[in-house]
Amino acid sequence: MSGGLEAGAIRLRDATRAFDVRIDSGRTLKEVLVGGLRRRSAPGGRDPRHPPPVQALRGVSLDIAPRETVAIVGRNGAGKSSTLRVLAGIVPLDSGSVEIGGRVAALLDLAAGFSRDFSGRENIVMGGALYGLSRREVEERMEAMVAFSELGDFVDLPLKTYSTGMLVRLAFAIVAELDADVLLIDEVLAVGDGAFQRKCEERIAQQVAGGSTLVLVSHDLALIERTCERTVLLDNGRVAADGPTADVLAEYRHVLEDASAPVRGSGAPAVPAGADADRQDSAS
Amino acid sequence: MSSTSVTRPSDLRGHGFLFQQLVQRELRQKYQGSVLGLVWYLINPLLLLGSYYLMFGVVLKPIEHDDYPLFVMTAMVVWLLVSQTLPAAGDSLLSQSALLRKARFPREIIPTATVAVQAMTFLALLTIVAVITVPLRGTLDPALLLLPFVAALNILAVQGAALALSALHAHFRDVMPIVSAILVPWFFLTPIFYEPADLELRDAPHAAVVALEWGNPVAPFVEATRQILYYGHAPGLDLWAYMVAATGIALVGGWAIFRRLQRDLAVLL
Repeated sequence: MSGGLEAGAIRLRDATRAFDVRIDSGRTLKEVLVGGLRRRSAPGGRDPRHPPPVQALRGVSLDIAPRETVAIVGRNGAGKSSTLRVLAGIVPLDSGSVEIGGRVAALLDLAAGFSRDFSGRENIVMGGALYGLSRREVEERMEAMVAFSELGDFVDLPLKTYSTGMLVRLAFAIVAELDADVLLIDEVLAVGDGAFQRKCEERIAQQVAGGSTLVLVSHDLALIERTCERTVLLDNGRVAADGPTADVLAEYRHVLEDASAPVRGSGAPAVPAGADADRQDSAS
Repeated sequence: MSSTSVTRPSDLRGHGFLFQQLVQRELRQKYQGSVLGLVWYLINPLLLLGSYYLMFGVVLKPIEHDDYPLFVMTAMVVWLLVSQTLPAAGDSLLSQSALLRKARFPREIIPTATVAVQAMTFLALLTIVAVITVPLRGTLDPALLLLPFVAALNILAVQGAALALSALHAHFRDVMPIVSAILVPWFFLTPIFYEPADLELRDAPHAAVVALEWGNPVAPFVEATRQILYYGHAPGLDLWAYMVAATGIALVGGWAIFRRLQRDLAVLL
């Protein structure tokens, strides 16, 4: 895709990204006009009524080679999900650069991209199209995706009849058959039942064996120990540790025990949960 | 500088199927489960055409023109493209925000799919109007060959405006209310039930006539379409120059605005 990077390789350089904290994400022209005037007149150049933006990433650099299995851990608000969304190309950076070689499949936000009024099959077609497949590629994979999801007759019913677990099955089935060079997975595995979780893990292992790179964000340390050789610990938008999973998880467990520290490092005020960068775009 | 510009021209190749899916979905979603289905796409504008004709052609009847229903219809079809597409496209990014958060793809696909659906309706209506008007008015003239070009320019101009409005509305939520408000007076200022020359007969100041003719970017498209279908003339060079320039400005401007504002769509919506 870009810069001739080898398929499956990831290179993130000094990535920074801030999110504006707003209760209501939409701006109106009036706010912009009035806000613009006020900003100019206010000392310090900032509208005092708006909280400062949350700095989700403060210079993250990662080099991931093809076929690596990397977990990203960290406390809420450390920048894990932001990192994944940057890698997926959904959220652009304020500064720094990101390069990924080959096709990227991202399982970030369960509700995203699904239409409740359409059947599972129709959503599979749209899902494939979103990842850049052609009609033929989707048709070739359709039966494999349906089989993987184990949804049976539900696959022809509209999504509004699905449980959350069934949505996970559908979402994962699409990604499982994409033959992506890079898999970006954010936690969603946790919603499926035990048997399906194991199936997904096996599938991921298969894909890695077949040459795919995996980047996984999770709080499930046992899952990380099973699936990832390397772990990156993020803290307050920076890489705090990066190395073999066993070593980094040991350090992370240390961090977790020190539960008295505020969520977002010591410098910043605690951010209300709704504005947490991790949940910037929770299900609509 | 960031190299994730979210969309690069190279991405556009791989997403033809996505575009097709969005168009199909929009066509189906709107009238899913309705008995007449896609026919509604034509019934609505046809009803509008009919009721406007009843109001202005029969009840009020302001100015004498031969075959007045045809005079109105040949212009109305252009107005319907503009007035139906701009609100639909303006809202498109917001209504498809779930897709934006799922994957990286060229964001302009979304408003463009909405325009494509409206353009199909427009072409179907234009065909119906042409099939009725040409034999009745006897305008089977070589000028008719120019109609596809006028229609194409018209659609491209609307596409440019749609790109700009969809991105602007995603950032500033009162853009579409403003557009809806403007559409009402805009309708009466567009020469649909009259033509600018009519005003000259009523001793209107020349400046007002010129303003109606050239101050409203929809007017030249309306006039060119009517010239071909109703009068059987080729549109003059001044009309062509205006249409080409307006389309160019709309496309370049709309594209530039979209490019500038699309960066944070996944975060904003």
